[in-house]
Amino acid sequence: MNYYELKLSVSPGFADIFVAELAEIGFDSFVEEDDVLLAYVPEDQYNEEAVREIIGRYEPLTGPLTFETSRMEKQNWNAEWEKNYPPIDVEGQVLVRAGFHEMDTSGFTHEIVINPKMSFGTGHHETTWMMLAHQLEIDQEGKSALDVGSGTGILAIMAALRGAKFVSAFDIEEWAAENAGENVGLNRVENIVRVRQGTIETEPAEKYEVVLANINRNILLREIPTYVQYLTPGGTLVVSGFYEGDLPEIQDVADASGLELVSVKTRNGWAAARFRLV
Amino acid sequence: MAKQITGYVKLQVKGGQANPSPPIGPALGSKGLNIMEFCKQFNARSQDKMGQVLPVLITYYSDKSFDFVIKTPPAANLLLEAAKVKLGSAQPNLKKVGSVSWDQIRTIAEIKMPDLNCFTIEAAMKMVAGTARSMGITVSGTAPWQA
Repeated sequence: MNYYELKLSVSPGFADIFVAELAEIGFDSFVEEDDVLLAYVPEDQYNEEAVREIIGRYEPLTGPLTFETSRMEKQNWNAEWEKNYPPIDVEGQVLVRAGFHEMDTSGFTHEIVINPKMSFGTGHHETTWMMLAHQLEIDQEGKSALDVGSGTGILAIMAALRGAKFVSAFDIEEWAAENAGENVGLNRVENIVRVRQGTIETEPAEKYEVVLANINRNILLREIPTYVQYLTPGGTLVVSGFYEGDLPEIQDVADASGLELVSVKTRNGWAAARFRLV
Repeated sequence: MAKQITGYVKLQVKGGQANPSPPIGPALGSKGLNIMEFCKQFNARSQDKMGQVLPVLITYYSDKSFDFVIKTPPAANLLLEAAKVKLGSAQPNLKKVGSVSWDQIRTIAEIKMPDLNCFTIEAAMKMVAGTARSMGITVSGTAPWQA
């Protein structure tokens, strides 16, 4: 998604008021500098008329205001971090590394190569690490798996390396879907993993033996009942992206959906839970 | 040994909606910080304030690690929300003639207290009422200290 940057000259006393007004018309983030407010809006939500209306309403109080907009093309803003970061070891069994890492990989059962390009899922975050650790404990041999919100595709690739015969992965971000496709290729599992851009609503109605979802609490609370519709009886759902403190709420929704808690992993306050469809 | 602070980044982002686009992407990315890590953490920590504008102060260190503090939403945002509830969403363009009650001003002042340099709730309420006036939002009724 490309963004517009709006640069508005405004005294600091009014900056917060413009933040509030612009937030009402689709602007989602802001930076306050001396006498300048920078406001950012996704390209498809930018409405110059609405901006002029707001400015016109406050000019009697603030005096004349000037603004300019510029379009910011999407680019890999994370490139600097991605140039140099340490590889990840999951339980001494999985090595997650980038293409630039040259290292001895003997001793690891699985090796996953991820070149992330501003997508989530390098193993550095606790939730990714725990999802992979759960996957080490699940029998995926010859099974089918669904990866919801796949980011770099790391979990889908792991399922394939663990023997899954078919994996469907999707992400709402076009950028992530493209990156997952590249990583699937790097790990030579393109015959097993299918990646597309989209959401659970556009996932073809099929049944999977394993469903993996590392997203966040709010989306999981809303979507767990839907994931269950994609699970075969006895199938496994692994979810993460939430805090330990949010587990009871997640568990309530899972219970109501006919899921039974199998095991929970926690790491630095984050949790990952594995359920079985009864 | 304590980690060495390299600098600070101050942004305002809607709760639960951080993504690697500008300004987060360029602001953090240029410092070599892992943007994806920030977004995951910020969205989880602000999950109960979905869509509210939240000031966030990010401290970053020489080892490219960071931590951040999320502040309370600006009074102006809270006032707009309060005024909207009263007017009903069918008339979004009429919010400029909206009004709020002193009870609502008190609620907002209580939310803002941790970030304001005010010793009393009354002083905080006066600040919030001042912001309301600048926005054309009238405060209905008599101020509690004038009653």
